[in-house]
Amino acid sequence: MNKNAFRILLGLGVIGLIAGSVGMWARLQYGHIPMAYGSYVPWGLWVAFDLIFLGLTAGAWIIILLTYGFGMKQFERLGPLAVLTLLVSLLCEGIIISLDLGQPMRVYRFLVTPSFTSMLTWLVVCITAMWIIYLSMFYFLLREKFAKANADAEADKGKYRAIVRILAFINIPVGFAFFTVQGAFFAVMMNRPLWSSALTPVVFMAAAFLSGGALVTAMAAIFDRDKAVVVPMGRIVLAILVAFLLLEAVQFFIGYQSNSPGTVAALNMIAFGPNWWVFWIGHLLIGSLVPLVLLLARPRDICSVAWACLLIVLTFLAVRYNAVVPDLAAYNLEGLDKAFVHPRLSQAYTPNLNEWLVSLWVVSLWVVVFLIGTRWLPVIPAEKGGEQHVA
Amino acid sequence: MSNRLPAEDPLIRMQRDLKRALAKKPSDIKWGMVIDIARCIGCHACTIGCVAENKLPPGVVYRPVIEQEIGEYPDVRRRFLPHPCVQCQNPPCVKVCPVTATYSNEQGVVVVNYPRCIGCRYCLAACPYVARTSDFGEWYTDKTPELQGKVVGREATAKAYEARPATEYGEKWPERGHGSPVGNARKCHFCLHRLAVGMLPACVTTCVGKATYFGDRTDPQSLVFELIASPRVMRLKEELGTQPAVYYLE
Repeated sequence: MNKNAFRILLGLGVIGLIAGSVGMWARLQYGHIPMAYGSYVPWGLWVAFDLIFLGLTAGAWIIILLTYGFGMKQFERLGPLAVLTLLVSLLCEGIIISLDLGQPMRVYRFLVTPSFTSMLTWLVVCITAMWIIYLSMFYFLLREKFAKANADAEADKGKYRAIVRILAFINIPVGFAFFTVQGAFFAVMMNRPLWSSALTPVVFMAAAFLSGGALVTAMAAIFDRDKAVVVPMGRIVLAILVAFLLLEAVQFFIGYQSNSPGTVAALNMIAFGPNWWVFWIGHLLIGSLVPLVLLLARPRDICSVAWACLLIVLTFLAVRYNAVVPDLAAYNLEGLDKAFVHPRLSQAYTPNLNEWLVSLWVVSLWVVVFLIGTRWLPVIPAEKGGEQHVA
Repeated sequence: MSNRLPAEDPLIRMQRDLKRALAKKPSDIKWGMVIDIARCIGCHACTIGCVAENKLPPGVVYRPVIEQEIGEYPDVRRRFLPHPCVQCQNPPCVKVCPVTATYSNEQGVVVVNYPRCIGCRYCLAACPYVARTSDFGEWYTDKTPELQGKVVGREATAKAYEARPATEYGEKWPERGHGSPVGNARKCHFCLHRLAVGMLPACVTTCVGKATYFGDRTDPQSLVFELIASPRVMRLKEELGTQPAVYYLE
């Protein structure tokens, strides 16, 4: 990335942080009162963003799997950059979901009184495991980089690489569990027509691989600019995109064929509800069809692959929003929202400005921390535009 | 004047049932509720009685009454469905709670341990009966103008009523503010604090149509035990296997 692009992106990130701080102030000062979600649609925009950040971590997992699981060494140098994206994503995920909690200061309760029948407990266990594995991996990947720069420390290289390899192998099953639990979290709710399916964890896993894979590919295209890396990554993203669209099609086909009122109501809300454009224009047209055409028509062009992947990532909120809100907004008990009228007791939900501003703040934080990380940490080789670091 | 004595008021009988139940070992009691839909007149007195008893803030409701229209014009009927937490004996909300803040007590009532609840709202999403609401910290007096030194200003009215804690679960909660139950999931608990002192739940005593019955469903002498055997009895979403302890008479 050239210096001008870096400065512009960093500037945008800082502006986002400043603008978003209005929403953050409202959240911290007035709690949940200024937000639009309620009791009948208890999760909204922030949970959709939480799922985005969780999904973005899949990019690093794919890189580590390809490098150490399948021995594809050309991806090895993407390791530090991919792990940085994962750590920044986990950081932002932790912030946005803490803001969504009614009593965020009680998160220690996960340690003190955990319930292992809850998928949320398992999700927290997996997130903690990912933090431990990837922080350690990042440390040793960077140590290896510094060792490379120092001729006297050449002997340490092998030791660090061995530790990274061990962590990579531990990461494979842990990551698999991590991405499965994200879907299982929703799938266990038998009252939710779309979520309550064995297909849900698979769809969530595919969604994570798609968004995470696209993010890392876009980063590789921007920072690495090596066809030997970007082109195969683009092909992998293309395969995941096709698989994800097929899974979605299956979900719609079976849902409509089942003719179950709850399922049909939730699907109708996605496809023909007040936010139909989120699905048709945001997700299918800009986030799927255009990237599909770019990846099929110009698979060897780094710029096309980068744009395709960026479009997938930037429009992925549409996928996550439709994964969370419509199933909650579909009626569970007809007439309940008219029994005791209050804005918090409504099936209708549209995120308000405060929720958007808080989301903007967290996304901007992601951008700023990531950019500063790429500048101050040796995650990009100097010959690829990264900073020279003293060993 | 008729020689026949009027039938005993169900409230008197339920009060007697309650006294008998409270004499038992607590773990031997299994509370249950029966709601006769045919007797419900849709007055919402139970809803308001519950709100007053538990000092529920705006947006929190334990017992709404759903008005349902059945059939198509001109052959339409209307019925009312009082809808408390059905106190599942196999509760999905308990299973999903990550911090064991919600659990089924020994008398079969699903309760929330407010100081333990982190406010993730997973239980709200998982409840098939949409019987839980979250306390977002709102006040009825939010938009009341402040009148310094007057007894009707926001601060004065809030302090006089809203800020004072309810007696839910028989606990002494702090004055309403940022602490629990603000930020927590809240739900009907069969007025456990009233039961503890020998009083029937507020929704039972406020029911104008005498449509709500309450008692120990394992006591063969109790009214609810008798009513549960009625051929008119049904439970909501029985197919889910949640085994509600709230029964309806159609």
